[in-house]
Amino acid sequence: MKAAWMFAGCAVILLLAGCSSQQTSSQELEDARARFQQIKNDPEVLRSAPKDVVRAEESLARAETLATYWGTSDDVTHYAYLSQRYSEIAEQESILSQDQQKQSKLEIQLQNLQLILREDKLLTVQQRKEWAAEQLVSLDSNETERGLVMTLGDVLFSGGSANLTPAANRTVLKLVQFLQLNPRRVIRVEGYSDSNGEVADNLRLSLERAQSVADMLIDLGVDSKRIAVQGYGEDYPVADNASTRGRAKNRRVEVVISDQQGNLSPSR
Amino acid sequence: MKNRLLLVTLAALVLAGCASDPAPNAQLQLTEKAVAQAASVGADNQLVEMKLAQEKLALAEKNMAEQDYKRARFLAEQAELDARLAEAKVLVAKSEAQLAEMKLKIASLRRQLGGQP
Repeated sequence: MKAAWMFAGCAVILLLAGCSSQQTSSQELEDARARFQQIKNDPEVLRSAPKDVVRAEESLARAETLATYWGTSDDVTHYAYLSQRYSEIAEQESILSQDQQKQSKLEIQLQNLQLILREDKLLTVQQRKEWAAEQLVSLDSNETERGLVMTLGDVLFSGGSANLTPAANRTVLKLVQFLQLNPRRVIRVEGYSDSNGEVADNLRLSLERAQSVADMLIDLGVDSKRIAVQGYGEDYPVADNASTRGRAKNRRVEVVISDQQGNLSPSR
Repeated sequence: MKNRLLLVTLAALVLAGCASDPAPNAQLQLTEKAVAQAASVGADNQLVEMKLAQEKLALAEKNMAEQDYKRARFLAEQAELDARLAEAKVLVAKSEAQLAEMKLKIASLRRQLGGQP
């Protein structure tokens, strides 16, 4: 029993000695550790610079090992320095790759805006005036118990996907301009599908289509706070699902528009 | 006799020391490449990391000439990473500038559409 206590005591002393010698070893080692802690759990960094993260870890481990020996403080400092640099490089690489993702998103926004502006410029002043007057008629909208409802048909999406075709630009542009003329109105974008296939898949596709219409509106400058998005899948068909034509009609996105005061009918 | 033994031992130790640190020729080449690469994307000694890289590389070359290989290797290894970090920082600064420019362009196009400023 006594021996065991003595052993434990020795172990504690040794541990303390180990700690104190590491603490005095170098500030660089502390810094390198802290830096590596920061990046090692960052998924973005791990994804964009895996090699540098590994090297940061290896150099740090080397510095830690050397720190337990006597008379190696230069080496400890050196490997701690390398580790810290690898961590910093990894961090910069990750910022760079995130920037590139942002850039490609902005690139798409820019292209959409330029396309729509080009179409807009083709309209004469007169046409634009008439447009403003006929806004609601040209929106293919219907006054229903849910308020004004505008329908984007299946043809505005490329086959079976949630991507809008260029033909959708004009329709979406009209909606954007309408919302700009009526700043207090808000909308709910609702996606619907036909009854072919799995219920879950239909629900997903309907939501994705509604979302991509909403995204485009936001890209074009409509405040995202004014847009609610909902997917209904194969519920609420407007036509018979037995025929091809009926199914095509059921695959649609409806935009429900609030009244002038911004009161939107409740969702279904 | 005793002295001679000591000398031999010392010589052996010195040789052992040398053997563990061969001339780091490959590392120096790597470092030179990294520094050149950083310079090619526009890093100059305005950037702390680039300045460090250039100074350490020069010092490493001096140590090589003096056959102080361990120090030369350490300096060259550090300079390589300094240069890589300098390069990455320059690239990040460029891409941030590009992002800002794109955002300005988008804002201006939105204004042309008659939207909110």
